[in-house]
Amino acid sequence: MNERGNELPGPSRRWWLRPLFVTCVVLPSLMATLWFGVLASDVYVSESRFIVRGQDKATPTALGLLLNTAALGHGTPESSAAQSYLLSRDALAALNHGNAYAHAYARPSIARLDRFDPLGLGGSFEDLYKYYLTHVRVDTDSAAGITVLSVRAYTAADARAFNERLLRMAETTVNRMSARARQDLITSAQHEVIDAKAAARNASAEMARFRNSAGVIDPTRQAPIQYELIAKLQDELIEARSDRRQLTIIAPQSAQIAALDARIAEIGTRIKEQSGLTAGNRIRSLAASSEAYERLSLDADFAAKRLAAALASLEAAENEAQRKSSYVERIVEPGLPDAAIEPHRLRAIVTTLAFSLVVWGVITLLIAGIREHGS
Amino acid sequence: MTAHHRPALGPALAVQGRVVFALLMREVLTRYGRHNIGFLWLFVEPMLFTLGVTVLWSLTKSLHGSTIPITAFALTGYSSVLLWRNMPGRCINAVEPNRSLFYHRHVRLPDIFAARLLLELGGATMSFILLGVIFCGLDLLEPPEDLLTVMTGWGLLAWFGMALALLLGTLSLRSELVEKLWHPFSYLTFPLSGAAFMVDALPRDVQDLALYLPMVDGVEMVRDGYFGSYAHAHYDAGYLVAVSLILSLLGLSLLMLSRNLVTVDG
Repeated sequence: MNERGNELPGPSRRWWLRPLFVTCVVLPSLMATLWFGVLASDVYVSESRFIVRGQDKATPTALGLLLNTAALGHGTPESSAAQSYLLSRDALAALNHGNAYAHAYARPSIARLDRFDPLGLGGSFEDLYKYYLTHVRVDTDSAAGITVLSVRAYTAADARAFNERLLRMAETTVNRMSARARQDLITSAQHEVIDAKAAARNASAEMARFRNSAGVIDPTRQAPIQYELIAKLQDELIEARSDRRQLTIIAPQSAQIAALDARIAEIGTRIKEQSGLTAGNRIRSLAASSEAYERLSLDADFAAKRLAAALASLEAAENEAQRKSSYVERIVEPGLPDAAIEPHRLRAIVTTLAFSLVVWGVITLLIAGIREHGS
Repeated sequence: MTAHHRPALGPALAVQGRVVFALLMREVLTRYGRHNIGFLWLFVEPMLFTLGVTVLWSLTKSLHGSTIPITAFALTGYSSVLLWRNMPGRCINAVEPNRSLFYHRHVRLPDIFAARLLLELGGATMSFILLGVIFCGLDLLEPPEDLLTVMTGWGLLAWFGMALALLLGTLSLRSELVEKLWHPFSYLTFPLSGAAFMVDALPRDVQDLALYLPMVDGVEMVRDGYFGSYAHAHYDAGYLVAVSLILSLLGLSLLMLSRNLVTVDG
C-alpha cells in the first residue's frame, strides 16, 4: 500500500490513520467506558481515625527537633507498630478467621475482575495478602500523629465490619506492647524487692538466733555495765582488805577477821568470774560475741537499706510504667458509608480518553518524523 | 507530509536508522576525540563523584549514623541525575555545530536530536552499569535486589530526560533564553532531584510535594530496585509516565513545527 495507486484522496488517509487511532484511542476508551461505566463494582470506603497516645516523649532539643522532623519524622514507634501490624499477614490471618475475609471479597455480586481470585486459580494466602494490601490503607500523619485507616469493600457493611475489627486488633496489639513494656520495667524492680526482703528477714533471724545462743542482747552496751560491776567489786575488795588490815592491827583476835577473809575470798572469785566473762573465756566472753555481733548487725543494717532502696526503685518503676503506657484512642469510629465513592467512573473514562489521545499524538508524530526520510 | 506524498514506513525507518547511526559515530568522535583518555571520561567523571561522596560519607559516619549503603545511594543518585540532566544540556543548541549536515537531504532535525539523545542514553547507561560492576567487584556495593525494577526506573527516567530534552532543544531553536535559563535551572534541580535524599527521610507533607518532581519518582524507583527491603521507596510510576508522555507530545509537536526553521545557511 505504499504505491501511489493506493493513495486515493480522502479515504486512503483515513485508512492509514485508522488502525493506529483505533488501537490507541477508540479501543481503550471503549474498554474504559464498558468497564467503568457498566461492569466495575461499587466500592464502599469505611474510614476510621485513631491516635496512639500516652507515650513518654522526651523533650526534644533544637537539633533533635530539626533532625526528627526533617529526617525521621514517622510518628511514634507505637503508631508505626500499629501501622505495620495492620498491614501484616498476621492481621490478615486474624481477619480471615474462618475464611471470612476471602468470602466477603469473592461474592458473586462483585464484578469478576474486582473479586478475589477471579478465575479460581490462585487462592493461596499470599494471593489474598496481595489483594488485602490493595483494599486497606493506613496513613500516619507524622506531625499530628493521627493514623487514618481506610478499608475498601464492595458492600458498606463489609467495609465497616472489617474496619472495626482491624481497629480492635490494632488496639489489642498496642495494649499488648504497652503491657509488655510495663511488665519489663516493673518485673526487675519487683524481683529486687523480693530479694531484698528475703535478705532482711534472714539477717534479723540470724541476729535473733545469735542473741538466743550467746545470751547477749548487745555486747557493746553490756560490756560497760560489766566493767562497772568489776570496778564496784574491786572497790569493795579494797575496802574489805583495808578493813581487815585495820582489824589485824587493832584487834588481832577478833572473830570478824575470819568473816572478812571469807568476804575477800568471795569478792576475789566474783571478780575473776566477771572479768573472765568479759575477756578470758572465748565462748562466753563479751569481746568474743561482740565480733560476731558487729558482723550480724552490719548485715542487718545493709539488708534494711537495700530493702528501702529496692522499694523506692519499684515505686519509680511503677511511675515510669504509668507514664510509658500507651493505648489507642479512637478519634473517628469506623463509618458506615451510605454511598460508593469509588470508582470515579466518569473521571476514569475521561482520563483514559485523554491519556490515549496523548499516546496517539506521540506515536503519530514519531511516525511522521520517520516518514520524512522516505521522500 | 502531504497526502499525495506518502512514503512507506519500513524503508524510511531504515534510512533514518542509518542516518542516526552515522550521526552518532560522528558525535562520539567530535565529542571525545582521541586525545586525553577520550571516551573513558564518560565513566571516570561519575566514578570520581561517587567515590568522593562515599569517602566523605564514611568519614562523617559518626555525625549522621545512618546505615544506608552509601555507595549505592551515591551511585544511583548521581547516575540518575547524569541521565536526565545531560540530555537537555546536550540538545539545547544541538543544531548549530551540525548545521552544515543539513546539506544532505536525509539528515533531518529529529535525527540530530536522536543521535545526541542516544549517545547520552548509552553513555549514562554504560557508566551506570560499569560502575555498578566495578563497585560490586570492590565490595563497595551489593548487587541490586530487583534488576527489573531498576531497569524500568532507569528507562522511565531516560524517557523523561529525552522528552524534556526534545522540548527544550526545539525551544532553544526559537529563543536563546532557553539556554541561559537552563543552566541555573539544572543546578537548582540537583538538590531537588532526589540524588541527595531519600523521600522516606522527608517529613510526610514534604514527601507528597517532592513526588511532584518527576525525576524524584524515577530515582526512587531505581533505588527501590537497588535497595529493595533496605529502604522504603516512595514513587508513582504512573505519574512519571504521564509527565513524560505529555512532555513527549509537546516536544514532538514543537519539533515537527520547527522542522523548516533550520536550513543549511541558517
